[in-house]
Amino acid sequence: MKKGNKKSTVSRVLGYIGKHKYLLPVSFFLAFIYTFVSLAIPYFIGEAIDCIVGVGSVDFEKISGILLLCILLTALAAISSFFVSVINNRIAYSVTRDMRAEAFKKIQKLPLAYIDTTSHGDTVNRIINDTDRFSEGLLLGFTQVFTGILTIFGTLLFMFMLSWQIAIVVVVLTPLSIFIAKFIGSKTYSMFIKRSEDEAEAAAFISEMVENQKLIRAFNKEESSKERFFGIGKRLEKSTLNAIFLSSLTNPTTRFVNSIVYAAVVLVGAILIISGDPMGAVLTIGEFSILLSYTNQYTKPFNEISGIIAEFQGALASAARVFDLIEQENESEDGTIVIQNADGEVLLKDVSFSYSDDKPLIDALNLSVSRGERIAIVGPTGCGKTTLINLLMRFYDAKSGQISLDGHELRSLTRHSLRSCYGMVLQDTWLTAGSVKDNIAFGKPDATDEEIVNAAKSAHAHSFIKRLEHGYDTILGEGGDGLSAGQKQLICIARIMLTSPNMLILDEATSSIDTRTEMKIQSVFAQIMTGRTSFIVAHRLSTVREADLILVMRDGKIIETGKHEQLLSRGGFYSQLYNSQFAH
Amino acid sequence: MKKFLEYLKPYTKESILGPIGKLCEATLELIVPLVIASIIDNGISKGDTTHTVSMVALLILLGVLGLGFSVLAQYFSAKAAVGFVTSARHSLYSHIQTLSYSDLDRLGTSNMIALMTNDTSRVQSGINLALRLLLRSPFVVFGSMIMAFTIDAEAGGVFAITIPLLAIVIFGIMFITTPMHKRVQSGVDKILKRTRANLSGVRVIRAFGNEERELEFFTKENSVLTSEQKRTGRVSSLLNPLTYVIINLGVILLIYVGAIKVDTGTLTQGEVVALYNYTAQILVELIKLANMIISISKALASWSRIASVFEIKSSQVFGERVIGEGGECAIEFRGVSLKYAQSSDNSLENLNFKVLRGQTVGIIGGTGSGKTSLANLIPRFYDATEGEIVLDGIPVSNYSKEALAIKIGVVPQKATLISGTVRENLLFGSETTDDELWHALAIAQADGFIAEKGGLDIKVEAGGENFSGGQRQRLTIARALVRNPEILILDDCASALDFATDAALRSALKSASENTTTLIISQRAASVMNADNILVLDDGKIANTGTHDELLQSSVIYREIYESQFKGGSV
Repeated sequence: MKKGNKKSTVSRVLGYIGKHKYLLPVSFFLAFIYTFVSLAIPYFIGEAIDCIVGVGSVDFEKISGILLLCILLTALAAISSFFVSVINNRIAYSVTRDMRAEAFKKIQKLPLAYIDTTSHGDTVNRIINDTDRFSEGLLLGFTQVFTGILTIFGTLLFMFMLSWQIAIVVVVLTPLSIFIAKFIGSKTYSMFIKRSEDEAEAAAFISEMVENQKLIRAFNKEESSKERFFGIGKRLEKSTLNAIFLSSLTNPTTRFVNSIVYAAVVLVGAILIISGDPMGAVLTIGEFSILLSYTNQYTKPFNEISGIIAEFQGALASAARVFDLIEQENESEDGTIVIQNADGEVLLKDVSFSYSDDKPLIDALNLSVSRGERIAIVGPTGCGKTTLINLLMRFYDAKSGQISLDGHELRSLTRHSLRSCYGMVLQDTWLTAGSVKDNIAFGKPDATDEEIVNAAKSAHAHSFIKRLEHGYDTILGEGGDGLSAGQKQLICIARIMLTSPNMLILDEATSSIDTRTEMKIQSVFAQIMTGRTSFIVAHRLSTVREADLILVMRDGKIIETGKHEQLLSRGGFYSQLYNSQFAH
Repeated sequence: MKKFLEYLKPYTKESILGPIGKLCEATLELIVPLVIASIIDNGISKGDTTHTVSMVALLILLGVLGLGFSVLAQYFSAKAAVGFVTSARHSLYSHIQTLSYSDLDRLGTSNMIALMTNDTSRVQSGINLALRLLLRSPFVVFGSMIMAFTIDAEAGGVFAITIPLLAIVIFGIMFITTPMHKRVQSGVDKILKRTRANLSGVRVIRAFGNEERELEFFTKENSVLTSEQKRTGRVSSLLNPLTYVIINLGVILLIYVGAIKVDTGTLTQGEVVALYNYTAQILVELIKLANMIISISKALASWSRIASVFEIKSSQVFGERVIGEGGECAIEFRGVSLKYAQSSDNSLENLNFKVLRGQTVGIIGGTGSGKTSLANLIPRFYDATEGEIVLDGIPVSNYSKEALAIKIGVVPQKATLISGTVRENLLFGSETTDDELWHALAIAQADGFIAEKGGLDIKVEAGGENFSGGQRQRLTIARALVRNPEILILDDCASALDFATDAALRSALKSASENTTTLIISQRAASVMNADNILVLDDGKIANTGTHDELLQSSVIYREIYESQFKGGSV
């Protein structure tokens, strides 16, 4: 992360907390009370112990007073600590919720270019995990650091009040344990690197082999696969043992250093009491025992804080990643004209487009489509046939030139109304988690059951839906689990039949559907195209032949346009394509 | 559990010495308050400096011994945990090697990977933690109480009340929050799924203008999650204050009881300090114990998942037969039906046919018609639920696993290569000369691009990502040919090849292997039309058999397929 970024990340973080700015000081105040009260209680216990000198010389009146005070203080500390934790949870979870909501809202506004080019896993990670890590690391960590520092200073204060000599012994000696923890940490670092390398190797091997387990079985290669795995496993065993054992030395050694500090405090304290303080102050046995308990807890916040600081940095990095998403540029500005029941006259004038500046794709394309015409787009796999669809639906904006629908320049129309003019069926079918009914009604959530059934009927999907276990109420998993590719496609068609748009964008079925099923879907397509302006990414001969215009694409460019016979007689790329792909 | 002890057995010494080391360390820690009491009562009160100094020396000695014991304990525990998991992981891997296709289907790939990586490592940290702390924490807690009783019975009584109260609060809160944490997790899963779906379906959502609706759904799910988190947080927030109150009240009671006892002469001031010091250790150890129980229960859950895999005994037993009886019939299906474990209907039903030695037979049909299922029965990847498959006059179940692997070469539908070199992929563990490899590549129409890319030793990345789909398919064909199988099964493995290459491949196969019996499975009529015989599958049954010309006359399905591809159809 860049330095300048860090500062702005912090200020943006404060922006989110801003909503809770009244709660934050309350939390700090309560944390302050809790820390000091919890440090004061041992102090008073020490005083009480001093009242218990020996047989017949116990000051019960004073003890009762002190113990009563301790009960009150305990209640105070408990209540403050409860509310600190409740308030901090509230702030942390609300901030996470707000950040998540904003990030999710952002998804709906991001240009397609961002979504197409960044990994979805990464974006999901930012919205779900990074927000979590941020709230836990930064907010909860922050209060822990705050109370930790308070505890350190409070303990020091009480120790100095009781005995400055012992306080100095503690202050001078405790850094030793922190130093040792650091030392072991740095020594074991390389062991951990080695172990994660071995772990990664084992994991990669396991996933490759297990994924191909059937292949191994088919070729009878189980023994050699086992041998290779055992080799990796043995190495992993060794490096894991090293890493686990060496890092587990941190606790015993710091505990050892602490016990040395403890012994030193005992020695100094005992000598101070026995010989009497040369400066005149008297150390009592009660005070001595309290100093011992302070010594025990003094080092704890140090170890915690060093851990928290690492988490802190991680949290800031997470926050920066979330902000990076939230502050991406939005889609270009929306138009204002609402178009309804478009006739379907599409005009492209000198349209140029490219995904990146150095690779021009569409260059000065002119195209005029009248109502009800059928446009077929053909070309080899990966030639960018979807680019044109992206422009027509305004998923992407043309770099230059004009695209218009019914005489309206696309940019002047609202995206929502423009897109609702089209019915789109893509080759990778996307279904939402929910019932079949929900999926058909996706574009018209208030549709009646009758409308839904009619839409399914006109998509020829009714008969198979009826045969599903729960009919229209069958719940489909994410991605439409449990349906065949052809059935999913039919549901997608039913989905657009319900909204009954005047224009169609169809990406014809792929090789994942067998040719007979495809033929059935094809006949449904042919039916619904009548009277509608249609753009079809065409795989089938019949579509291509009957199209009013064929756009031939290659390497992202439209290289030929015309009708089937014209193109064929021209003997160019189309005729090559036609002969290799369609004719046997 | 039996399996668990079996894996721990080689580490018996470590598993005993680890906890013992920890117990010794804990015992030493319990002595410390007694030493302090002695310093106060005998050293300080009597002004005895030499006693004090020797007691301080004892404290340091306790520290050194504690360090020694604890280092040993850490080492033994780590060794036992890592060793245990390594051998468990190895036998898990070996066990998976013995499983049949249907066992593998049931387990699922991602599940198996998770078992071998996440679950084993959770078991590892669980064992490590258990060996170190499972005895130590209760020992310190009860040790403190016993020490308190040895100092004074009534003071011990205070401990006997405080400890159960603390335990009730700690474990009670843990008990209440565990299901709450699960609900939080399922809330997180929900918004995670929605986010992922919104990214993958962005075009559809925008095309239908559903952005606002999706946002509404998300907002609802997000708020539900947040309130669930807050509720869980509130309950967890009770832990610290409640235990704090209990332990402090215990201390206060202890001081009061101590005051009375000292006044009457049954206790000394130093002993009161010692009792006070014991209380501090209880809380820390109880909280450690609670956390440990959470990770140990996770480890146990992981272990039971692992153990359940060990319980799956391979559903197939192989015979010993190495060669068949011969005769002119290479493959025969006699009334074969197949039903997969997960499905309710038969995938194949009552198949009867014969394939003669050296014949090329085409199998054609739509997706889901059972073509691949049929092919998988021949090398016994799956077992028929009814009927019998006979190879060279001997039922498949009588052959040994090795014999079947040598006899039958399969080119699966999904062309997968393994990371390594082209040579390694072709050999895949067997041995043969380079000439043979090139010969196989040539038949598979793969010699050209392999030579162009630099020969047999060029690298193959995981999954064969550095080759195109068609190239991968040709390499997998070559891989099967290297072993010179008697029966070659090509399962729709030329779908990414263009027409010309596909044709060249088929004619090369035909001329190179006169004696090989070949099964070609395809959706393309073109791929099977020259076969000696064609089986048309429809919905798990053989609809028709015959040659291309016969089927064009007799089979409606075949004609439909053919026409969809040759007359106005696509590829």
